[in-house]
Amino acid sequence: MKKTIRLAAFLGVVAAISGLLLGFVNSITEPIIEAKALEEEKANLQIMYPNGEFEIVDYNDADGVVISVFKANGTDYVFKATATGYNSSTPIIALVGIDSKGTITNVIALQQQETNGIGTKVFDKENINSLYVGKATIDDIDMLSGATFTSSAMKTIMTNVFEALSEIK
Amino acid sequence: MKNFKNGFIKENPVFCLYLGMCSTLALSTNLNNALGMGICVTVVLVLSNAIISLIRNITPDEIRIPVYIVVIATLVSVVELLVHAFIPSLFDALGAFLSLIVVNCIILGRAEAFAKKNPVLPSIIDGLGMGLGYTFAIVLISMIREFLSTAWVSLYNPFNMSQLIIRVGIPQLSKYTISLFSSSVGAFLTFACIAALFAFINNKSKEGKK
Repeated sequence: MKKTIRLAAFLGVVAAISGLLLGFVNSITEPIIEAKALEEEKANLQIMYPNGEFEIVDYNDADGVVISVFKANGTDYVFKATATGYNSSTPIIALVGIDSKGTITNVIALQQQETNGIGTKVFDKENINSLYVGKATIDDIDMLSGATFTSSAMKTIMTNVFEALSEIK
Repeated sequence: MKNFKNGFIKENPVFCLYLGMCSTLALSTNLNNALGMGICVTVVLVLSNAIISLIRNITPDEIRIPVYIVVIATLVSVVELLVHAFIPSLFDALGAFLSLIVVNCIILGRAEAFAKKNPVLPSIIDGLGMGLGYTFAIVLISMIREFLSTAWVSLYNPFNMSQLIIRVGIPQLSKYTISLFSSSVGAFLTFACIAALFAFINNKSKEGKK
């Protein structure tokens, strides 16, 4: 019995030292890793907020839809999210901008290979404006007739974005 | 010195002991990844051998394996964080294999076979020899594979991937490349041929002694 306790204590000490070391290294590398990740996204984020100031918001989506969240100019949020539409090999990746009042300001598709002339209509400027911009709840968002797969993928993205927004705020 | 040389030819961890093959086969597609992986493994191996040798007298025998695993896992995580922060291109290229150094059998194998019985300095040298032996193996395979599949062997600056350091090749052969060698089949073929060569050399030197 005594021996077991001694062994457990030894392992505990080893694990504690390793935890301390990891915490120390992480405290050095974390800001650098975050700055690099922000740098990579900056070009995309600038499309939404030209000359904006961005910072990374810590958020983990269990569904894997929301990839990353950024705070723009201290008040607004930009969500990078992904969902699969009609093209199962290339999922849609989109940026969704939401202002301080919780309404969608802009949607940009970073990657999409939907059917030309059918699914791609969802990403036309006027459709983005009528379908998404200005909407503040998921119930306000309609589907685009004829482009069911693509609009449902976008709806999945929006659902998760609103969920993420309510959790962050 | 003998331990150091052993790591290269007679006890090359990859070609003669057949350890750490998983990462060797997967990451030998090009020279950059291979060299990066080799250096990461060497660093972890030297440090883990040093630490395990340092604590060899106070480590209770019953729980030595968990202790080794904790030590190795800590070192790998440290290396992983540093690579992620300072060489992101290498971090992206190595992917999961960087964290999988933890279960690379060379490292636990050397801890168990050498570091737990020997003082610090020989353990470090053993780690360095084995690590460089691994690096040598993965770099050799990667150069053969990269050359056969693209007719070129190139080395880029890991801190800035657009900067080419050295590039050698035979442009006339670029029409006759064998793309098979960039896939996993090519890895196995290359590995098998080199391993056979090493076995031949080692057998020959044994016969010579008789």
